[in-house]
Amino acid sequence: MVDYHIRLDGVTKTFGALRVVDNLRLDIVRGEFLSLLGPSGSGKTTILMMLAGFQDATEGTIYVDGHMINDIPSHRRNMGVVFQSYALFPHMTVAQNVAFPLKMRGVGRAEIDARVNRALDMVQLAALSERRPAQLSGGQQQRVALARALVFEPGVVLMDEPLGALDKQLREQMQLDIRELHGRLGLTIVFVTHDQSEALTMSDRIAVFNKGLIEQIDTPRMIYDHPATRFVAEFIGETNLMEGEIAGREGGEALIRLDSGGMLRVRDRAEFDAGRRVLATVRPEKVELSEAPAAINSIPVAVTDSIYQGDHLRVQLQGPGQRLVARRDRRAAEWTPGAKINATFAPEDCWVIVP
Amino acid sequence: MAGKLISAVFGVLAVCFLLLPLVVILPLAFTSSQFLIYPIPSFSLRWFEELFTTPVWRDSIVNSLIIGAGTTILATVLGVLAALGLREKLNFISAPLNTVFLLPMVVPAVVLGVGMQILYAKLGLSSSYAGIIIAHTVIAIPLVIVSVANSLQGMDTRLELAAASLGAGPAATLRHVTLPLAFPGIMTGAVLAFAVSLDEVVLNIFLAGPGQRTLARQMFATLRDSISPAIAAAAFLFIAGTVLLTLLVLLARRRFSGAR
Amino acid sequence: MTARLWNRKTRAALLILPLALFIGIFFVWPLGIMVKQSVLDDAVLHLLPRTTEAIAGWDRTAPPTEAMQAALIADLRAADDEKAVGDMVRRLNSAQSGYRTLMTKTLSAVAKPETGPLLTDVDKRWAQPAFWIAIADALEPMTDRYLLAAVDLERNKAGEIAGLPDGASANRTIFIRTFWIAAVVTFFCVLIGYPYALLTAASTGITRTILLTAVLLPLWTSLLVRTAAWFILLQEQGLINGFLLSMGAISSPLPLIFNRTGVVIAMTHVLLPLMVLPIYSVLLTIPTNLMPAATSLGAHPLRAFLHVLLPLSLRGVISGALLVFMTAVGYYITPALVGGAGDQMISSVIAFYSTQTANWSMASALGIVLLVITLILYVVYVQLSGRTSVNGRM
Ligand SMILES: Nc1ncnc2c1ncn2[C@@H]1O[C@H](COP(=O)(O)OP(=O)(O)OP(=O)(O)O)[C@@H](O)[C@H]1O
Ligand SMILES: [Mg+2]
Repeated sequence: MVDYHIRLDGVTKTFGALRVVDNLRLDIVRGEFLSLLGPSGSGKTTILMMLAGFQDATEGTIYVDGHMINDIPSHRRNMGVVFQSYALFPHMTVAQNVAFPLKMRGVGRAEIDARVNRALDMVQLAALSERRPAQLSGGQQQRVALARALVFEPGVVLMDEPLGALDKQLREQMQLDIRELHGRLGLTIVFVTHDQSEALTMSDRIAVFNKGLIEQIDTPRMIYDHPATRFVAEFIGETNLMEGEIAGREGGEALIRLDSGGMLRVRDRAEFDAGRRVLATVRPEKVELSEAPAAINSIPVAVTDSIYQGDHLRVQLQGPGQRLVARRDRRAAEWTPGAKINATFAPEDCWVIVP
Repeated sequence: MAGKLISAVFGVLAVCFLLLPLVVILPLAFTSSQFLIYPIPSFSLRWFEELFTTPVWRDSIVNSLIIGAGTTILATVLGVLAALGLREKLNFISAPLNTVFLLPMVVPAVVLGVGMQILYAKLGLSSSYAGIIIAHTVIAIPLVIVSVANSLQGMDTRLELAAASLGAGPAATLRHVTLPLAFPGIMTGAVLAFAVSLDEVVLNIFLAGPGQRTLARQMFATLRDSISPAIAAAAFLFIAGTVLLTLLVLLARRRFSGAR
Repeated sequence: MTARLWNRKTRAALLILPLALFIGIFFVWPLGIMVKQSVLDDAVLHLLPRTTEAIAGWDRTAPPTEAMQAALIADLRAADDEKAVGDMVRRLNSAQSGYRTLMTKTLSAVAKPETGPLLTDVDKRWAQPAFWIAIADALEPMTDRYLLAAVDLERNKAGEIAGLPDGASANRTIFIRTFWIAAVVTFFCVLIGYPYALLTAASTGITRTILLTAVLLPLWTSLLVRTAAWFILLQEQGLINGFLLSMGAISSPLPLIFNRTGVVIAMTHVLLPLMVLPIYSVLLTIPTNLMPAATSLGAHPLRAFLHVLLPLSLRGVISGALLVFMTAVGYYITPALVGGAGDQMISSVIAFYSTQTANWSMASALGIVLLVITLILYVVYVQLSGRTSVNGRM
């Protein structure tokens, strides 16, 4: 039996007629790093607010360690929260901010000092403990917020786009830092983001949200390689989509007749019967380009553009009735626009979903 | 060019019109003359002495301070509590209360004076400190509410959520987060309440007995019959007090904006 | 509604409750009492319950019956609240002259046990129906006579509303005077305040600071101090007259105080900030490049002002004017100190009735008229400035 730390059971949140979260069922495993990923307005913050107790679920139940917590006020939930804008207390010093949760729990003076120091050391801010938040950079404020949310050793830490306001470099550094802290402290972290690469980098599992519903919840690898829906396929990374229908099966592979003409051989998914309309998805980096047509899965294309992007080469293609994108090694030969070539990919690199 | 000149002349004249009265009254506080007129024959502190030694003036200063302090405390406590409560939207209650709490600022003082005089006769509050403090509080409330509400509104509500998530209950959040952050607004409200009380005359005429004669009321009476330079000395105290209070508020604000 | 939401709302309600009670008792109730006082007419009814019964069947023309007289004697003997008796006599005397002396005589007579049962023995006037009609008319518990009298109207013998005879009361004159003074003050405030606000909004740096400080300082200064200051400036040996005399502009001091001139000058000074600040805050919201844009499109600066700036800032001017007018209408202190007898505004009449003669009914009636006028102005002001809750800007 899996040790569920948090369970949301049929949780719904409505604002007037608007269903922001719709009958959500979600189990969060103890010690896991779960990202809630979705476009703006998909209800991620709302879920976090309900977990933290800042908002009430309209319907449904939230359990922590098997106990229903719907009616427990925020201040007794013992969850650390890191806000996007950090929400540091402007009238307190860094040390006072970090000491606040301990003071609220009636911890003794000496122990507070020790634990605050340890927490500040952990985020490398010990030198700035007497500053006020206004005198800190964004990244430093972020780390104070983190220290404050961790210092009272909550079992769960909720983070709402905590890195959104940082520049790219600092953000990537913090991503690794937080991941490292997570591993070291064995925390359960629920992390809201709308940045897919951030989610892929940090998470044990990712829940992809769309309009208040979970489209897919799985490991980063599964989400990326085997997206469950068109929405996930398009939202996480870039992908080529080709519409067609299952024409038959052959040697453990499925045959797809594309609407644009041509046949594809793809990895079979037994649940799709012949005649079923499907979408074949291929990631750009799995697309091979060659002058001569390949034996299977060969699509004649014309190069429309070839863009050097530093670490790779992005080649835009116009196939029969649809556009494709390929991502090639930066050292690969550049194709001049207008060149007539062929795109191809291995059957196991093509993932079939329903449209 | 001509336009610029006209603007400049108008600006100077208007500033003079606004400030001249405040300027001319101050030197007269130090006149040695019997009369409230220029030129000043020689400077003396006799009118301040009069202010602090004659029982009518001295008592009126004491009364002003007692009543002002009472009003400040009562109005600030009631106003802050209500401003906190008014942040929550209560159906059918919030909107009308918002209006009613501001109305004392609008209703003419004489009208309120008549009503309160009749009420006080019934309740036996006429000619009592409590009665005057209550009356001053009524008209000070709108100013307190507005300044506190403004500062509460300017506050990031996520700070309170953060406090809750860190284990602070409603009372602790109020004490450690909300009130400290609203402090500049509370301070402003308190000072305004004090200023209103200090300056109030009309309600005093209706409700106070000789025992509660305030400095403003005494100035009013003196202006009416025996125009003595003691008025200028009292005015000097008023202005000095105002400047002092303003500095106090600015200081409090500075301290807290420095904290931001 | 969940339990926690309910808790939050309850807590909010509890926080508001003390002030709600306070304002209810000490602000709303007094205004309510005033309304009641202005229509209440039980000074007589309250003291004469037996007479009320006895007089019910009387036809108002026949000589008073013996029962009526006996009842009145009994009522007067039972009346022991001296103030209430005084109120009753005043009420009756206002309806029928001569009542005061008649009652004084009657009261001392009924104090003796042998008096009765006929009052006509005490004084012949008790035989006249007029004195009894006065009592009969005063027995309705509600009356509109004070409210009517507040605007110089009365009910004539036929019960129709009619004007008071000339010279009987000056309320209407004083109301008109009040509006007139308020209007003149508002006019001068617009005249000075609008260009002042324009100038302030157009200026920058230290100039703007000086202009703003000059408006805010008086606002922060005690009304009494400012009025006293005008006293010093305007009096006969005051600075203005002294200056003009020394310049040779005048040969004898101008009468500047204890007249309309003084009142208008002092009130304009006191209320000017209330005009400047609303206009200024509206002007700040107008993009500064609008005027240059208009003139660059070929508009003459004056036309640009008339067609661009004026319409945009008019909202501020109107709210400022309403604010000034509304405040001026209720003014008491300034006219009382720098005005003459002919410059007193309605507030001073109300204060007179309330504090000098303790005629609370009349004071209340006048107060209600003033209150209604003020509230109407306030509602218009709120509609215009869109400021409906305390959570708005100050
Ligand atoms: N208090 C509220 N009242 C009404 N609607 C709300 C409220 N809070 C959120 N919403 C609506 O609920 C929807 C989901 O909001 P939420 O903040 O959960 O989105 P999100 O996924 O966090 O988006 P983002 O990535 O932009 O932060 C939005 O359409 C939002 O407008
Ligand atoms: Mg969000």
